[in-house]
Amino acid sequence: MTDAYIVGAGQSAFGSYPEETYRSLFRTAYERAVPDDVDGDRVNEAYVGTLGVGGRQIGLSGPAVTEHLGLHGTPCTRVENACAASGYALRQAVLAVEAGVADLVLAGGVEVMTDTSAEATKYWLGVSGETEWERMAGTTFTGVYAQMADAYLREHDADRRALSAVAAKNHANGARNPKAHLRFECSVADAEAAGVVADPLTLYHCCPTSDGAAALLVASEEVAASFDDRVRVAGFGASSDHVGLYDRETYTAIPASERAAATAYGRAGVDEPRADLDFAEVHDCFAVAELLAYEDIGLAAPGEGARLVTEGVTAADGAFPVNTSGGLKSKGHPIGATGAGQAVEAFEQLTGGAGDRQLDDPERGLTHNVGGSGGAAVVHVLERAGVTGA
Amino acid sequence: MNGESPRIVGGGAYAPRNRLSSEAVAEAWGRSQARGVERVAVPDADEDSLTMAAAAARRALAAADRDAGSVELLVFATTTPPVEEPELTPRLGEFLGVPETAARRTHAGGTRAGTAALADALAALGGEVETTGVGARAATDGSAPAGVDGPALVVAADAPLGEPNDETGHAAGAAAGALVLDTGRPEGDDASAASGARVLARGEYATDYAGTRGRERGAVETGGLDVTTYDRAAFREPATGAVDALVAGAPQTAPDPSEVDALAITAPDGDRPARVAGALDCSPDRITTPVRRLGDTGAAGPLVGLVRSFADGPNPTGDADDTHAATGAAEHHTLCVGVGSGGAADAALIAGTAPVSTRLDGTRTVSYTDALRLRDRITGDAPAGGGAAVSVPTWRRSRAARYRLVAGACPNCGALSFPAEGACGDCHDLVSYDRVRLPRTGELVTVTGIAPGGAPPEFVPQAERGGDFPVGIVRFERDGETVDVPMQVCDADAVGRAGDASGERESDVGDTAPESSRVTAGDTVGHVVRRVYEQEGVVRYGAKARPVDD
Repeated sequence: MTDAYIVGAGQSAFGSYPEETYRSLFRTAYERAVPDDVDGDRVNEAYVGTLGVGGRQIGLSGPAVTEHLGLHGTPCTRVENACAASGYALRQAVLAVEAGVADLVLAGGVEVMTDTSAEATKYWLGVSGETEWERMAGTTFTGVYAQMADAYLREHDADRRALSAVAAKNHANGARNPKAHLRFECSVADAEAAGVVADPLTLYHCCPTSDGAAALLVASEEVAASFDDRVRVAGFGASSDHVGLYDRETYTAIPASERAAATAYGRAGVDEPRADLDFAEVHDCFAVAELLAYEDIGLAAPGEGARLVTEGVTAADGAFPVNTSGGLKSKGHPIGATGAGQAVEAFEQLTGGAGDRQLDDPERGLTHNVGGSGGAAVVHVLERAGVTGA
Repeated sequence: MNGESPRIVGGGAYAPRNRLSSEAVAEAWGRSQARGVERVAVPDADEDSLTMAAAAARRALAAADRDAGSVELLVFATTTPPVEEPELTPRLGEFLGVPETAARRTHAGGTRAGTAALADALAALGGEVETTGVGARAATDGSAPAGVDGPALVVAADAPLGEPNDETGHAAGAAAGALVLDTGRPEGDDASAASGARVLARGEYATDYAGTRGRERGAVETGGLDVTTYDRAAFREPATGAVDALVAGAPQTAPDPSEVDALAITAPDGDRPARVAGALDCSPDRITTPVRRLGDTGAAGPLVGLVRSFADGPNPTGDADDTHAATGAAEHHTLCVGVGSGGAADAALIAGTAPVSTRLDGTRTVSYTDALRLRDRITGDAPAGGGAAVSVPTWRRSRAARYRLVAGACPNCGALSFPAEGACGDCHDLVSYDRVRLPRTGELVTVTGIAPGGAPPEFVPQAERGGDFPVGIVRFERDGETVDVPMQVCDADAVGRAGDASGERESDVGDTAPESSRVTAGDTVGHVVRRVYEQEGVVRYGAKARPVDD
């Protein structure tokens, strides 16, 4: 079995782009991910993550994208796992390479979310939650995470300002990311003062809806050798869970994330995440999700996540930077593109291409992508080529 | 039939929590035209006559100590059904758990519907009630199902609506009353054999008074001719005529109408019942229909008044909202009179009382604008963009869970699952569940508030009408097992505020405080049936959590 390597990564800017289509956005990401000298004919397989916001192309949305790129005849599969769609697309690409059925695979995702009415967007976001019971209680997606935040703050006697600290940190990072949707800084006080969307979450505790695309080129070890930039997929893990929050064993953790991380760590030989990894891109669709992620992927003990951010541990210049891209909060959250976009940031950090956000010589990083409120999760451990001799 | 005379063995009454004062109406229109009405009850955004009926019926069954599963006859009365068609008793029965084989009847067409429903049930249960007078035959000539032993459940719920600036509109209130009738006693309960109230006599009267009160074809609002003298006569003549007919057939030992302890009567306003009382030489103080503080409750008025009479009984407690023990006091007499627009009335003389459970208090004062919003007078339809489509067949399949919180108990490990479908959440085996009903109360374990701007599309009309609403997860415990259910919380300010002797209570939270700020994790909640949303022209009903005191 061969190892899988990411040999190219690129994304469009995330934001609101009324002049773009889902195809043109994905083309931008593809052209940035695939070196000019790599002909599309070499791509053996493609996986495209998208929820299909607005319902414009739910059926065959994968081939609708690859035909636009000229990948004529390439087997293409749409991957839909809500906000974890392209995280799972990357996993599918890695599986295809490791299984030996493909040497070069395109994985990515795309979403256009700002060209539908507010009501239509709410509908499309809402269908990623548990619809028959949770949504029929009147719960929005924000409402589900607000309930997790309510439970987290009470159970751990935490201060809501920890949520605002997440927002402030990620906005500070995103302000330095030319691809970010919301490129402005905000203070903890700004986040506290913003209007309440669903108590205790304020507007600044919630990510924006965005347009955008991200693409990754995944290669077998043999093929990867001819590429200048190579990042080894050292480990990956995925898990699913009850789609409805109310069905889960806990409201202060996302068990699918815990299981996905454990699997990824087992494959990558990560024993102590804080020591064995250098940074992480985690799923922070709402500020509380980042606190839960700290604990679910083993950066902090249960209840200690809030301290991590308030003490600056996860700041860009902290001991363990999290979401140097700005995260979903600042960089943006075009649902289908988010997971692949996280891997783009990790790739850039590990290959020294992160510009103003560049960390000091990182060797290993992690991406953590959650679907819905935790009905699916996928984690990848990515490693600069040559770190472990692989 | 077992040959025993039918008795009223329990009663329930319910009114929405919102109150609109006549001062607020006067501020909007210069004066309030609702005579003798100080405030009216306004249904919440997720309430209608069917949900109010369920609330009153559940209380009546509990007070009567009868299980819904034993009900053999369900009679429902309203002039304001949430839909024109189809029949509503199947859904009301499903809310409560009434067997599918129970007989059902619906009464509508005028505000006499509530007392007509009572007459229907009495006829079905047999007994020896004397019914005399004009129209008596028409009411009992076979319309009632025969051969019912009981229990019979009679429910009247109404929320009339008038033009914004006329006497009907200013007086429009909302409430539901329910009675349980039986010919026997609950199995193994000898003590209650003699309890309950007995209908000593009935009378009916009908004469043609066209145009006094009614709805034109296709209209939403009830209106009338507004010819004062004619209107008063159209109310008084059939009412007194029915009472006269009753007296003619009543036992010699029965009290004269002027001597009854309570007069429960249809009350379109506070003036007309008093005029009837005057004509009967009965003190207006004995009118128990709470028109002063609920407004015009249409067909529900006489039954709510009867339940109030039972609550006060020979030993009034002064508490409006509580469960009242049965006294069975034969010396307490209530004259229950239903008056229908068009000149029809019936009257029943009832001896004794029965245990009742009522919730008629007002906990929230609303502005005139709020009332217009709540009553859907100025709000719009669901926005374009769609909503989560849970098809009607799918909804129906889950109705036991949605209405009555029927969950599943795993036959392998005993764990509870809600809903009762799919693999067991605990042992993960694909099992066939044992169906169990969750307890009446549970604990709110998480909660947040959904602002109108953030509501899912299908909930936008509710949010436009009622404002923000809390949603949360409620944990229910049964036999040591727990299960969580996502639920919307209604009546968030319903708990923890003492009422005065009249039963009136006011919110101690500012009117602008969001509903969600009034409940927190750890609160005890019960569950009630409310409107969830409307899609495909079908109102979807389901259980919502409601704060309780204990």
